[in-house]
Amino acid sequence: MSTADVTATGDVLGDTEHVEPRGRLSRFGEIPVHISLLIVGLIVAMPIIIALFMSFTPLPEIVGRANPKLLPDTWTLENYDKAWTASPFPRYVLNSFVQTGFITLGQVLFSVLAGYAFAMFDFRFKNALFAMVIGSLIIPFELTFIPNFLLISDLGWANTYQGLVVPFLASAFGVFMLRQFFMSIPRDLYEAAKIDGASDWFYLWRVMVPLSKGAISAFTIFAFLGAWNQYLWPLVITNEESMRTAQIGIRFFLVNQERATDWGAIMAGAMIVMIPTLVVFIVAQRQLVKGIAMSGLKG
Amino acid sequence: MAQTMEGKAGATSQAPPHRRHRRRYNRGAYFYLFPTFLILAIFIYYPIIESFRLSLNRVAPFGGKELFVGFENYTRLLQSADFWNTVKVSLWFMVGTVPVGIGLAVAIAILLSVPLKRLSGIYRTLIFVPVVISSAIAGVLFRLLYNPVVGFFNHWLSLIGVDGPNWLNEQTWALVAVTITVVWRQLGFNVIIALAGIQQIDDNLYEAAKVDGAGVFKRIWHITLPMLTPTLFFLTIVNVIISLQAFGEINILTDGGPGRATTNLVYQVFVDGFVGTHFVGRASAQAFMLAILIIAISFIQFRGLGKRVHYQ
Repeated sequence: MSTADVTATGDVLGDTEHVEPRGRLSRFGEIPVHISLLIVGLIVAMPIIIALFMSFTPLPEIVGRANPKLLPDTWTLENYDKAWTASPFPRYVLNSFVQTGFITLGQVLFSVLAGYAFAMFDFRFKNALFAMVIGSLIIPFELTFIPNFLLISDLGWANTYQGLVVPFLASAFGVFMLRQFFMSIPRDLYEAAKIDGASDWFYLWRVMVPLSKGAISAFTIFAFLGAWNQYLWPLVITNEESMRTAQIGIRFFLVNQERATDWGAIMAGAMIVMIPTLVVFIVAQRQLVKGIAMSGLKG
Repeated sequence: MAQTMEGKAGATSQAPPHRRHRRRYNRGAYFYLFPTFLILAIFIYYPIIESFRLSLNRVAPFGGKELFVGFENYTRLLQSADFWNTVKVSLWFMVGTVPVGIGLAVAIAILLSVPLKRLSGIYRTLIFVPVVISSAIAGVLFRLLYNPVVGFFNHWLSLIGVDGPNWLNEQTWALVAVTITVVWRQLGFNVIIALAGIQQIDDNLYEAAKVDGAGVFKRIWHITLPMLTPTLFFLTIVNVIISLQAFGEINILTDGGPGRATTNLVYQVFVDGFVGTHFVGRASAQAFMLAILIIAISFIQFRGLGKRVHYQ
């Protein structure tokens, strides 16, 4: 129902695969387009494809070849074994999951709450407060990360999960996005529920959230990717190996293994760090793409 | 930041008047807002002020002793050749990434906008995938590609008879190497935005042009690109901001080097604030200048938005 109007505005890329042909550049004919897109696609994905194959190539093959080659002659899993055991990679990945899990949970929960208040309630200073949320979107991280570093260090939270997580528990983008969606749900529904004696709290969790599953899961994807891919903050706020996230771990792993030119192990490590985001990409590609496209169109 | 304008417009529009008298101020609202504002206050609003305050102090590397020095950090920076070099690196980097990144994205998006009976899903997957790749991973993947022994770039170049450079160890090429990497990581995002813009264009325009006998390239030049200007404007702003903030790739590929060849403003803030002796005041001063530049650019987008509304 109400999801329909939102998808109508948001579905700019259409049903990616089943969109009706529009006859835009049809003079081209399909074949040259297929060939160009295949070449472009392979070039763009090439760094990942190379990493994938190299992660299965034995070390002697990589360093022994006169020229780099894409496919391994013999396939091996020993690079993954090495990456997983030769450095605290399991710990890095665990740290990343804890950090990302809490950040995502916090951002989604708090954005649902704040987005709901901005969408449904009237209250004093509403416009000013909303402007403050939106204004924070244009504050670049350069401006905040030094004071935040000093604050977190003073709290003794360097090298802790709190230090990694707490500064990112809220998301202005999430508040904005969910507010927009909540406002698209007919207000009559709310008025009717109120007449039936439903509380605001009840209405949020029993009506609003179930109706907004699409928008909430889209934001969850953004929050997850943003948190998992964080780099500068975890780099400065952790200096103990046991608290590094996967993104930071791969940097130090690279520095150590490069001396041994162990590129197979490095690429296995890179694949391990990438896999959660690649899985999200493959499972939720349409939602992700739609969400990004909307951000551009709204301008 | 993309959505900013709309949000403001939305915030001021309220329920229709006939309904308004029934709505009362809801005190409970603050309960829902509290967690978000608590976090934003501590980790965004307060640091803005604190950042500026720090930039007016000389901060002792150890023990956190501070000495108020007014604008000394700023004046010293403006007189230092190293500072202007980081500005230069940032600008070259911007000039290198933004036009190339957007040009490629638009070309690819035009190809993707051609309706195909099959396989378009696969092409999209291959082309969009950098969207989920982190700056750290992009750095690691390209570090392999640039490697003079096991890397692929110089091997490919040798196939066409070109003797590839020592990418990461030569001043000019190191900057090019970082530029290519960032263009790649941004490409998925840029193509998605460009494609969305192209698909907003009214089909009738193309039909009319076809009737008039305009060929493919004429149609791209006279219809697609002009109609796409709002999207191009948006992409330019976003990409300029992203290029000014590039950090992860530099940290992994070149560590700001060789020499200072790839030390942009963000990287210098990081080095001053967190590497070796900490110059927190100087780092804050640079961060503040960079932030003002970025915020100013964001405001340009704000204002440009008015034009785009007429467009549609």
